[in-house]
Amino acid sequence: MNVIEITQLSKSYGKSRGIEDVSFEVHEGEIFGFIGPNGAGKSTAIRTLLNFLYPSSGSAKILGMDIVKDAKKIRQSIGYLPSEVHYYDDMKVEELFRFSAGFYKDDASKNAMKLAERFQLDTSRKIEDLSFGNKKKVGIIQALMHHPKLLILDEPTAGLDPLMQSIFFEVLKELQAEGTTIFFSSHYLSEVQKLCNRVAIIKEGRIIKIENMDDMHANHFKKVLLHFRNKEENTIRIEGVLQEHITDTTYEFIFNGNTKALLEQLRTVPFDDVTIAEPTLEEVFMHYYESKEGEQNGL
Amino acid sequence: MVFKREWRRAQKALWIWVLAIGGMSFLIMSIYPQFAENKDQLQDLLKLYPEAMLKAFNIDQLGFDTALGFYAIEGYLFVTLFGSIYAALLAGGILVKEESDRTIEFLLAKPISRIQVVLQKATGVLAVLLVFNVMITIINYVGFRVAGDDQVDTQTFIMISLAPFMLHVTFAAIAFGVSAFFRKQRLVTSIALGIVLGSYFLSIVASISDKLSGLKWITPFEYVTSAYIIEHATINPVYILIMLTVIILSVAVAIMKYHKKDLIV
Repeated sequence: MNVIEITQLSKSYGKSRGIEDVSFEVHEGEIFGFIGPNGAGKSTAIRTLLNFLYPSSGSAKILGMDIVKDAKKIRQSIGYLPSEVHYYDDMKVEELFRFSAGFYKDDASKNAMKLAERFQLDTSRKIEDLSFGNKKKVGIIQALMHHPKLLILDEPTAGLDPLMQSIFFEVLKELQAEGTTIFFSSHYLSEVQKLCNRVAIIKEGRIIKIENMDDMHANHFKKVLLHFRNKEENTIRIEGVLQEHITDTTYEFIFNGNTKALLEQLRTVPFDDVTIAEPTLEEVFMHYYESKEGEQNGL
Repeated sequence: MVFKREWRRAQKALWIWVLAIGGMSFLIMSIYPQFAENKDQLQDLLKLYPEAMLKAFNIDQLGFDTALGFYAIEGYLFVTLFGSIYAALLAGGILVKEESDRTIEFLLAKPISRIQVVLQKATGVLAVLLVFNVMITIINYVGFRVAGDDQVDTQTFIMISLAPFMLHVTFAAIAFGVSAFFRKQRLVTSIALGIVLGSYFLSIVASISDKLSGLKWITPFEYVTSAYIIEHATINPVYILIMLTVIILSVAVAIMKYHKKDLIV
């Protein structure tokens, strides 16, 4: 079953680019990453899904319900963490949790307290006195506390220290095991690698790629670093290079294709030393951010 | 949930305003006995004032010679003008604040519809203004008991207490409706203040100049002018109808606008 189903969704407003013709699905029980640089339209897409913004055209369904018509009903079953966390400053953390819990049928504040303990958050403090990271924890907990079927997290890890981040990922894994579907946006690509089943990459308001992470690993990407003792004229031609970085004595590139073909090609290159390694996703995707040619190269 | 939260959040400001305006009104009433003693001298003094000024404050029609008349000129001004400012600020901020402070993303992720948010907030404003006016009325009643030995007509007293409530709700509704079109609280605050003070200015102009008396139709202050209430012991029903219409329309506009609005934070 598809938990999120987006069909040719577009939204433009003001000076903002918004999103154009976005279509994809998120399946039940998966962790889906929504990746793109700042300003690519991630938050616009998420805010449209939550009906803070009305779509200019196209439509989307969450849990089989229309995002505009059934907005209130959908909200019963989702938890949302905004990218920038702003809460009522005059409230204490526990007051905010009680306020949040009041919207749901079951008493969720107990679960909130449990989560607060796990994230080491002092709930007796005023929200305005909290650090950015601690405010983020408040946001995470209020999104999780009522056991939503779908979690929508906009840049969830920004501001969390590495320890908290790993606790957070642990919690997400547990939720996934319980059947929760998780949709989260990020521009930290390395996060995605650890966590996601699938990712969509958005750039300038358009989805440019949807990838299954298992396929990604199976796909042949290699990071190749060639060393030259002497200054090398730039004459190397290798097919399948996605992204290259050239200095006087080195030639570094990401290769996409059959590894054997790479070795065949390298045979003719007069290098002195070579390192071939597994690239991080960050390195693989970087060319999408940097150049338009990336789209023609294709992954 | 939203109503409860707004109700609690409004308490501090509510009681500060009750103390300030109620206290002012009470203080003014407490000097009435001295005025009453020197009634004749006061009448002579008033003759020296330009006619326009007497008209502007309805002194020509009311006179200082009864406790009610005295209140209608002095205390009533505080209650209507400053009370309206409070009402407009309260109502103008309550909706737009969520966008201005970017808390709307939190609130609307909870299972609540936009219309419910608007209605609960509007109800919150109404409840706060009701308490505000009941408190002012109690303070005034005590003030009259302290100040005057003359009997205050109950019907007139009820009307002169009900009128500011209607006025406050009218300004609150207008500010509430206007605020639905904006995203920044500071801007709405200025506009709300402008509407109240502008209306007050128009009401003065309308009572001074016969040529411009047509303006009385567009300023709510004229709807509840104390001279009429004291003379007739009622609020002009036409004006009541206008105020009710404005209130309902403003809230309806707020609901419609807010329902269709892109909430950009």
